Amino acid sequence: MKRRKFLTIILAFLGSVTSASFAYSLLKFLTATPATGVNSKKIVLHRNEVPYGGAKNIIYGDTPVMVINRPEKGFIAFVRTCTHLGCLIEFSKSSQKIICPCHAGTYDLDGSVESGPPPKPLTAIPIKIEGDTIIIG
Amino acid sequence: MWNKIKSWLDVRYGTNAIIQKQIQEQILDYRIPKNTNIFYTLGFITVIAFCIQAFTGILLLLYYIPHPDHAFRSVQDIMTKVPYGWLFREMHTVGSNLMITVLLLHMVTVFLMGNYKRPRELTWLVGGLALIVTMTFGYSGHLLPWSQLSYWSTTVVTSMPTAFPIVGDTIAHILRGGDHITGTTLSRFFELHIAILPLLFLTLMGIHLFLIYRTGISATPFGKQDTESRPLTEYTRKAYPDGYPYYPDFFRKQMYMTMAYFAVMFFIITFFPALFFPPEANIAADPFKTPHEIRPAWYLIAQYETLRLIPNKFIGIALQLFLAVLFLFWPFLDTQAEKNLMKRPVLRGVFVFLLAAWVVLLFWGRT
Repeated sequence: MKRRKFLTIILAFLGSVTSASFAYSLLKFLTATPATGVNSKKIVLHRNEVPYGGAKNIIYGDTPVMVINRPEKGFIAFVRTCTHLGCLIEFSKSSQKIICPCHAGTYDLDGSVESGPPPKPLTAIPIKIEGDTIIIG
Repeated sequence: MWNKIKSWLDVRYGTNAIIQKQIQEQILDYRIPKNTNIFYTLGFITVIAFCIQAFTGILLLLYYIPHPDHAFRSVQDIMTKVPYGWLFREMHTVGSNLMITVLLLHMVTVFLMGNYKRPRELTWLVGGLALIVTMTFGYSGHLLPWSQLSYWSTTVVTSMPTAFPIVGDTIAHILRGGDHITGTTLSRFFELHIAILPLLFLTLMGIHLFLIYRTGISATPFGKQDTESRPLTEYTRKAYPDGYPYYPDFFRKQMYMTMAYFAVMFFIITFFPALFFPPEANIAADPFKTPHEIRPAWYLIAQYETLRLIPNKFIGIALQLFLAVLFLFWPFLDTQAEKNLMKRPVLRGVFVFLLAAWVVLLFWGRT
């Protein structure tokens, strides 16, 4: 192999490694979401705050969250962002369903899509029940 | 593929003619004097440094919150929680100091080689203004992290104009947006840093490059005499038919220095990551507690120390203004044809004295 070609290959290799490592760090930097999750402290609610067969809307970190007291199934919490186009979902007490007011997407109380355009289920938030308290997060 | 794109553009916009005529003939084929050295690349390195600052600054804007309640936290999050946030902030902070260093070196070497002399008076003046704008970039950015260091060093710097009678207090008031450093000051400095100064710098850089292009490059006075025609009666672009072509000879020098710039930057980031982050930089701003040792950034220390040394504040600031005006307009005052500083003992003596005074004041202020 000639000296010139050898040097070209070495330079191309080093340049590619440098560019790739820089591109990787840039991609990681751009896709970070430090605001959500990082600053989310646990939220404690009393059982009475969420009535049987009812729901309560809270803000967890920077995220709107809905806590539902499901008949016979217990408590569950979801991010209130509709998986269709991001509108805030509402709890319908009369039909015991979760409804998106924007495009009539409907979810059941487990967060699964029942009808309408949402492409995937709602995002659940972990909760823990300790005596009379509900710990969210 | 590349030829197809070139052809597509050429049949629509005649781009080949532009590339051939303007770039090839005017820039790539331009002959550089044979005795140029690596110091001739410092202007180019300043442009590279500015591009790095703009790029990393735009990235930091994604997570920085310019509000007194959130600024410090958001910067700490960039350093500790955002992946590789530390890298881009270090690049921005180290880069800002390196950019000022490179610009200062550029000015000093241009001075030493007498390349400011006519017909390049305006080129020097615009370059000097760019240095002032770059320093303003530095200290306006200093406040943005809203740390103890930011808060109190900005307090010190914005107090400097108050030494000037009658208008001093008004200048300080305008800078701060009140009597003290507050959220208003942060908004003002943020606007200055990301909106006003970049536009100013780009304008000055554009004028500077245009002037260099029109006058042609000035050769060094070392080894071979390089005098301009005197008296100056008509416009001629300085040309060197027996010089080296810009590409690849001088371009290679520029690339070499660009790599050296990156090497210095990453050497500091790797081995001295806290060089520009003293302990006060990691404490949130507290308007009710002044740290024991607070100083402005290194490039303002000499000016700060001069003000402290001269008992009369007015004389202190008037002297600094006088020196700044003298520095900017020096090419209009120095009308001697001799470019080589080695052959001008008085000017050389004054230059060495001023440089030594600056270095002494800098180290005195830091200890």
